[in-house]
Amino acid sequence: MIRGGKSFVSSPPSFSNDAKKLLVCTGNTVSIFSTDTGLQVTELEGHTALVTSIIVEPAPTPASTILCYCWTSSLDGTIKYWDFSVSELMKTINIQLPIYSMVVPSFLAHKSENSEKLSDIYAYISVEDTKNEQNKQRNELSGKILKCNLSKSHLVPGVILSESKKPEKITISSTGKYIGIHEKRKIRIWEVPTKDLKNISPRKLKLSHTKNLSCIAFHPTDRILVAGDVTGRILIWRGFGDKTFAGSNLENEKLLKDEDEKPGVRGNGDADSCTTWHWHSSEVKVLSFSSEGVYLYSGGKEGVLVLWQLDTGKKVFLPRIGTPLLNFMSSPDPSLASVSCADNRIHILKMPRMEILKSISGIKLPSPVPEMFRGSCKDFVFDHTAGLVAVRTENYCIQFYSLFDDREISEVQVCERNHQPSDDVTMILNLVALSFEGSVMCTVETRMAEEGIGGFVTLKFWERGSQNNDFSLSTVIYEPHRDAGVSAVAFHPTRGMALSASYGGDFKVWVSNHEIQQNDRLIQRTRWACHAVGSYRKKPMTAAAFSNDGSVLAIAAETVITLWDPEKNVLVAVIGSTREPIENLSFIGDSNFLVSTSQGSNSQLSVWSMAKLSVSWSYKLHTEAIACSEKDSHFAVLVVLPESSKADVATSHSGAILLFNAGDPVPVASWFVAKAKGGGIAFIQRNRSLDDDMDENEGQVLLAYVNGEHEYAVFNPHGVEMQERKVRHTDSVSVTGPEVTGQIGYASIYGKLPEFKLEAGAESATLSERPWETIFSGPSHSLPPLTKLCSDFLESLLKKRTGTLI
Amino acid sequence: MAVGDRSEAIVKTFAVKPKLKPTNKKSTSSPESKYWKSFKPKQTQTLVSSITSLAFSPTSPHDFAATHSATVAIFSSQTLEPKSTINAFKDTATSASFRSDGHLLAAGSYSGQIQVFDVKKRSAVRRLNGHLRPVHFVSFPRVDKLHLFSGGDDSVVKYWDVLVENSFDNLIGHKDYVRCGDGSPASDAMFITGSYDHTVRVWDVRVSKSGSMLTINHGAPVEDVIYLPSGGLIATAGGNSVKIWDVIGGGKLLHSMESHNKTVTSLCVGKTGIDSVNSTNQYRILSVSLDGYLKVFDYSTLKITSSTRFPSSLMSVAFSPDCNTRVVGSANGVLYAGKRKTNENIESVGSEWGKHIGFGAIEEPEKRVLRPSYFRYFHRGQNEKPAKGDYLIMRPKRLKLAEHDKLLKKFLHKEALVSALKAKNPENVVAVMEELVSRKKLLKCVSNLGVDELGLLMGFLHKYCTMPRYAGVLIVLAKKVVENRIDDISGSAELKGYVRNLKRLIVEETRIQESLQEIQGMISPLLKIAGRR
Repeated sequence: MIRGGKSFVSSPPSFSNDAKKLLVCTGNTVSIFSTDTGLQVTELEGHTALVTSIIVEPAPTPASTILCYCWTSSLDGTIKYWDFSVSELMKTINIQLPIYSMVVPSFLAHKSENSEKLSDIYAYISVEDTKNEQNKQRNELSGKILKCNLSKSHLVPGVILSESKKPEKITISSTGKYIGIHEKRKIRIWEVPTKDLKNISPRKLKLSHTKNLSCIAFHPTDRILVAGDVTGRILIWRGFGDKTFAGSNLENEKLLKDEDEKPGVRGNGDADSCTTWHWHSSEVKVLSFSSEGVYLYSGGKEGVLVLWQLDTGKKVFLPRIGTPLLNFMSSPDPSLASVSCADNRIHILKMPRMEILKSISGIKLPSPVPEMFRGSCKDFVFDHTAGLVAVRTENYCIQFYSLFDDREISEVQVCERNHQPSDDVTMILNLVALSFEGSVMCTVETRMAEEGIGGFVTLKFWERGSQNNDFSLSTVIYEPHRDAGVSAVAFHPTRGMALSASYGGDFKVWVSNHEIQQNDRLIQRTRWACHAVGSYRKKPMTAAAFSNDGSVLAIAAETVITLWDPEKNVLVAVIGSTREPIENLSFIGDSNFLVSTSQGSNSQLSVWSMAKLSVSWSYKLHTEAIACSEKDSHFAVLVVLPESSKADVATSHSGAILLFNAGDPVPVASWFVAKAKGGGIAFIQRNRSLDDDMDENEGQVLLAYVNGEHEYAVFNPHGVEMQERKVRHTDSVSVTGPEVTGQIGYASIYGKLPEFKLEAGAESATLSERPWETIFSGPSHSLPPLTKLCSDFLESLLKKRTGTLI
Repeated sequence: MAVGDRSEAIVKTFAVKPKLKPTNKKSTSSPESKYWKSFKPKQTQTLVSSITSLAFSPTSPHDFAATHSATVAIFSSQTLEPKSTINAFKDTATSASFRSDGHLLAAGSYSGQIQVFDVKKRSAVRRLNGHLRPVHFVSFPRVDKLHLFSGGDDSVVKYWDVLVENSFDNLIGHKDYVRCGDGSPASDAMFITGSYDHTVRVWDVRVSKSGSMLTINHGAPVEDVIYLPSGGLIATAGGNSVKIWDVIGGGKLLHSMESHNKTVTSLCVGKTGIDSVNSTNQYRILSVSLDGYLKVFDYSTLKITSSTRFPSSLMSVAFSPDCNTRVVGSANGVLYAGKRKTNENIESVGSEWGKHIGFGAIEEPEKRVLRPSYFRYFHRGQNEKPAKGDYLIMRPKRLKLAEHDKLLKKFLHKEALVSALKAKNPENVVAVMEELVSRKKLLKCVSNLGVDELGLLMGFLHKYCTMPRYAGVLIVLAKKVVENRIDDISGSAELKGYVRNLKRLIVEETRIQESLQEIQGMISPLLKIAGRR
């Protein structure tokens, strides 16, 4: 079983200390990417629910940047401590409450007290109190911020900073002095006590605004707080907390002034002044100060990263990212930063110039579809032979994503337009179809009319080049069915033939004509031209499928199924009728059965016998997708379970996959799945590279399930083994093998500093030839943890025998 | 690195592009049709009347003679200008024919007299009297210098001894006017003649007593007949068809080409200059017809490889033996002479030109050493051609943004529409309109237009509204424009004029649509019946 397709942007990523690695929360795991190549290096596995935050432990000295330790928090209620250089779990703290956010102030504080005895590390965690249900029902304050001693692995008792309706994200200033949350229209800020006294709760203040706030950020040095709201305004409070946080003498001086003039500050918020910038047209999602505090980065739904000069308000832009921005992370290396985008992509930026260096792409998330196209849109199709899924994206592209390798293969720009995320949808990529061997793609796009002007449908055929490179446009057909929308596209299994069916009541058969031109060199071109047009009583054609040998064409004309000879374009037969229009139609392998599904109030799954031209058996099921195997007579359906039956099953399971044998109405196997709405299934052929592992039965196919949020699982529907299999990143490892050691920052200008040998911290990571002598030397705080040293120590005691045994 | 390449693609700008046009399937022309197209017909001076025949001299520089009215004009094939004219005719001259050495030229005439001229001196060397009616066909054999054959409207074919101005024989067999003929390339004693009695006869002077060797019935009055270079095949033209016959095999019909729409008037053999592996496939039949088409027919593959349209009815065609010149004569006296453009031509012209200017005295200017103070210094090496083994790193193509694209990028929608309208390319205007529609800004733009800009838009709508390619967008837009801007339109006389024109256009369009629907009504039952079978 292979799982993948996780969101990369559910929580902010984190850079390692040397800025060569980027730690990304991907579902239950943490994936580590190389910032040089943009490819995945390794993965931290251990959490059982969504990972919500990653905090890399900063290096105590500049020389020890190679140390790779991090803390992660997850919704499974644990905080884990990892050595991510070897992807090894070192410690687990069980909080037993789902953690939504975690910050560790002491990591960010200045390391002046480094020489002192290492004090305990405290973390502030935002949790959802799910323990007592009654309490939850009474006042609905389930979100809490708690303090946790990470060194001693327990919660600090009695410290509850705040209670809110739902758990909020904690924002921390880059010095670790303040932490804050925003809740609706209020901001709450606490000053973190410098001394870790147990039972003193930090001092706090509140600021309020008239609009719902969406994000906040603290200035690294001054007491300046910026917040973005849902209307696109950026508010800047200067000198917040003069009364609350500053010393008493300062407080007296300011007190008089504060009383009479506090421009822009609402209520009795404790701040000197509040100013507003309004450039963004919709919600601000990203706010981040540059490390020295001169610039502010902001971004939002428009997909434009804006760099503000804090004093003057001057702006520099990185436009046309084409998707809403979610996170901005600056790295320890001043020339790198990362931007997380809503289309499941993380861009690594070259910093002063704001230039995209690399992109880390996950599978594209489902894009919103306007109501009128709900029925005629298909989110993704499978390439059965190559194990790819082609996903329709919001910015008019088709992304090819490898299910076996869990990474993006390529992206094809279908419409040459820039996507403006904040605009209304006026153009949509409706349908994608891939030919059986994956070399031809057909796309349908619709431009919507503005008050009846200028809307049209375009059908495009794409051909993959001979070297298996990207698709190139072969034929464009404007308005293939006049002004009617295209409901289905199907490819002939063996020939260059395709079919498009329309709601306007006709279907067209397209054939490809090869023409080879011997002009200087061999140029092969393919054109697709209309071969035949057909219609059945002017009824809207809603679904279509070719039989496996290509001799029969089945087209659903609303509630009846019409069978055609595709070559001669002759109506062969018409079979039965369903109650609702048929949405999906498929021939089952080499058996003579046809399966159809219809949705609506009388949704139905029917299997038709082609020999008798009648229904063989049917169920009343809400079917989301069908997958038919090519060879045998098996087919699988993805069923969305009705609301009533949900009580029986676990709540997270909203659907089921049922595997049938065509002639038999009793399912062969079934699996419960989550997020079935909008999902899809397909039988895909086993990848070559997987064969050595799963060699028990060669010829069998795997079943791939992609759920409504484009997370997927690939498994063997006939086998019993259901254990998790890791996606192997064989290719990515080989690429990143020779670690690129480009010099960055200071080193790039002045060369490497001579390492100070006096500091034992540098040595601790590298063990010398006789480790037992040096292994425990040096201050204890800079030693690797004992769990790591132990094995080396023991190994070193077992002296290796040099000679051979006689 | 593929990942890196794609990341750049994210921040991309796209120019507004018009909808693609359907490309012609045969737009990718074959080398042969390119060859035939390379004879750019140049219209030389108009001659007095119909050009009855054209003939090339068999010797270099392959001058050609054209007969029209009572003259024979000799043209240089280099400059395509007339070199000399021969006016010693009492009536219309016909059928010029060069002797194999190119020194003598024979021509017939409506008076029945055949004259043989010295090409250089332009004087008649011999006069052959014998035909009682107009002579339409005179020809020297391919090699033989001493004999001539001719055919006249008295339906008699004569074989002449040029020296003594005497005809050996009257070859009788045709029953109507003899209008054409050709000498066999295989034997100087054999020739063919075509007549208006629908027949082509093959003659051999060695056995002339027994009449014609072979008779072929073309099925229509024969306008022209030629031997194909092998000597075994002949091509006949008559009516709308060109037919190819096997004479060795007893006059079997091999193929009939019927792609002309009117009477085919003349044939000749052409040769493609392409170096193909088997040179036998180089020969083509060139045919001209009264419908104004010149067609090139490949008789080995039985396919028409090229077709050229001329503005008037064509009477005669000839193709130079060196494959560099093709001349076509029309019924109204226009001579379309085309020379093939070849590299050698250009070079030879260039070298001649050089001779005229400098007599070789001008030396090549000395190549100066480039220094940073020269402008060209900064351009050095930019025109360097890559060697065969070099790996080419292409410079990324720069995207050319038009004015309206730049304005669209700045979200200046109305300005973009106006700039597109001013550029007057209808495709781009419609593309900009479609882009505005997908930004939901078109109607806002229309309501923001000033009165003169509105005039620009109305003018555009008036011009292109009913064009089928743009009608889908423009007709609805025109309606909306008139609805939304009724106040401005009623205030301006110019705009009112546009609306009046628009109205007239729409009335006309509805009439067209109605008649189209009538036709559809007539055709659809026929199609139904045809589909049932």
